Amino acid sequence: MNVGIAQGERNPNSSWLNSRGVWLTYIILLFVLHFILLSIPYITTPVAWTLTTTIHNICSFYLFHLVKGAPWETSDQGRARRFTFWEQIDNGVQWTGTRKFLQILPIILFFIASFYTKYDRTHFVINLATMLLAVVPKFPIFFGVRLFDINRY
Amino acid sequence: MFLDKLMSPKTAVNQNLDIVMSNYQTNKPGDDNNRTSDHRNREEFEETPTWAAVVTVLGYAILSALGWLRDFLRHIVVFTRSKQISYECFYTRNLYTRIRDVFNQPIASVAGAKVHVMERVSDDYNWTFKFSGKKIPSINLGSYNYLGFAENQGPCSEQAIKSIETYAVTTCSTRHELGHQRYVKELESLMAEYLNVEDCIAFGMGFATNALNIPTLAGKGDLILSDKLNHVSLILGARLSGATIRTFNHNDMKDLEAHLRKAIISGQPRTCRPWKKILIIVEGVYSMEGSLCKLPEIIELKKKYKAYLYVDEAHSIGAIGSRGRGVVDYWKVDPNDIEIHMGTFTKSFGSAGGYIAGKKNIIDYIRVSSHSACYSSSMSAPIVQQIISALSIIMGRDGTNDGQKRIQQLACNVRYFRRQLVDMGFIVYGNNNSPVVPVMLFMPAKIAAVNREMLKRDCAVVTVGFPATLLTESRVRFCISAGHTKEMLDHALKAMDEVGHLVSLRYSKKNPHHRWVELDHADYDKEYTS
Repeated sequence: MNVGIAQGERNPNSSWLNSRGVWLTYIILLFVLHFILLSIPYITTPVAWTLTTTIHNICSFYLFHLVKGAPWETSDQGRARRFTFWEQIDNGVQWTGTRKFLQILPIILFFIASFYTKYDRTHFVINLATMLLAVVPKFPIFFGVRLFDINRY
Repeated sequence: MFLDKLMSPKTAVNQNLDIVMSNYQTNKPGDDNNRTSDHRNREEFEETPTWAAVVTVLGYAILSALGWLRDFLRHIVVFTRSKQISYECFYTRNLYTRIRDVFNQPIASVAGAKVHVMERVSDDYNWTFKFSGKKIPSINLGSYNYLGFAENQGPCSEQAIKSIETYAVTTCSTRHELGHQRYVKELESLMAEYLNVEDCIAFGMGFATNALNIPTLAGKGDLILSDKLNHVSLILGARLSGATIRTFNHNDMKDLEAHLRKAIISGQPRTCRPWKKILIIVEGVYSMEGSLCKLPEIIELKKKYKAYLYVDEAHSIGAIGSRGRGVVDYWKVDPNDIEIHMGTFTKSFGSAGGYIAGKKNIIDYIRVSSHSACYSSSMSAPIVQQIISALSIIMGRDGTNDGQKRIQQLACNVRYFRRQLVDMGFIVYGNNNSPVVPVMLFMPAKIAAVNREMLKRDCAVVTVGFPATLLTESRVRFCISAGHTKEMLDHALKAMDEVGHLVSLRYSKKNPHHRWVELDHADYDKEYTS
């Protein structure tokens, strides 16, 4: 147990996304990624947007839904060890501000990418697939669900 | 502003609490710490500047990304050191170890107003340390030594050592068996007199006083309303008790009232039966924020809704108030309005242990049924004697007015130090009178930078970061002592000024930024000696 800490938080993973400035930083990092991609010579704007959404969605799927537990030794003796980061946010309470923000962001990226790729079919399929990958696991119905026992333990 | 809507909801501590409590102060002539000027009771938590928050999160993001990369490399190329790579140690491995040399620094002398810090060198980036043999004599700004009793010479320690000759070191027994000795009885009656309550009971460990006695007082069917920033010992005690726990925002009386009303109206969670009792747990001085609890308002609420109040005065007893009697003395409330007064002897009395004080029937009940009285060993003689000597000095029983001088010295030091820090442009949290002075750093790298640079300038400070504090609220926490002289404080302020310039810590948007040489020192000196 961490004595002498400023908060009785059992698992800091549940609340650090609510801290001041985190949402803004998330958006800034996304734009930085996009600008880096735009700077590479042979990548056109549509490809850059699709790449941004794809990279963002795959990374967020990995970080939110595949990695389990917390990177600290929490004072609740590892109760969250089997839960993914998404399930730990706000201690499992659904539809909080952070969760809504994180659910809406891939959808907005999808719209922007569709616009910039001029609704081209290949790009659409890729963007739709990665958007579903990022958004569907965040539904409350999938809380604690491990399909086909992947990532169960 | 659209950008403001993008901000996440502000955390409780970042609200700007500008409280003027002058109507709770009585104006006694000739009373040093009770002037009714609004400046005295101000409590400030200046909001984090947005750019600082963004840079802090970016800093942690970069560190985490590098951590993932390093773990990946460790995975594919087995390093000699980390064979077992678990996710739980990610933070310790990749962030904490980088700056591990600023935490848990060993000392080689009494942790009084000055302390000798042992210098350590590391060849392998803080994984292992070696002592270089050098001892750095530095000003101790990290110990909770509020009244300066942490000394190994003087009347207190002499009497403590003499008590070993009379009573031996320990009875090796619990309170219920052989532990109830003469010296403990003397301590308890002295403490009850000091606090102006009916009775008191003392325990060997301050943490255990909270953790093992809250289960005695509250149980299943009770409601505990505890402040969000309560200490871990209170939280552990509340969880062990089996009562329902609801937290209210830090020092937010409207939130507390809303919780009280909702609880009384809807009753217990499933059965809707009325609660057996409602216990409000607050602390006198919060050690990470430096804020004081708003005791008069809490007592008003408590009387209105017929709840009970438990005040943990670990950091405020001896350090706050014109006679050193804690927040009860500071706000001038009736001690009988608070059901349980709790405190520790570790901070202001230079000893160890905790106490609970209140009405005789409650204390008798705790004597009989407390876990701590039945299972843990009782206090030992030299520790108790140290407290008794310190108490006699504070109460003036030893014939000198050394105690009152110490209390006034502490108040002067606190005012002097805080005012200059604020005028230099740092963001300082907390009440103007609290001896705990947290100065915000925000960024993770500055935690290490400030600590190392201050040590180079002979000041030993304590810096804390995530996950001990909130993500964007790392801070350096100064603890002012009555043992600090004005020269020591000047040295520390000069050092902080240089470090603040080097590391750019002047974040305040409300106060203009000054260097130390630009401040009008005659003004501060005049206030100090008054």
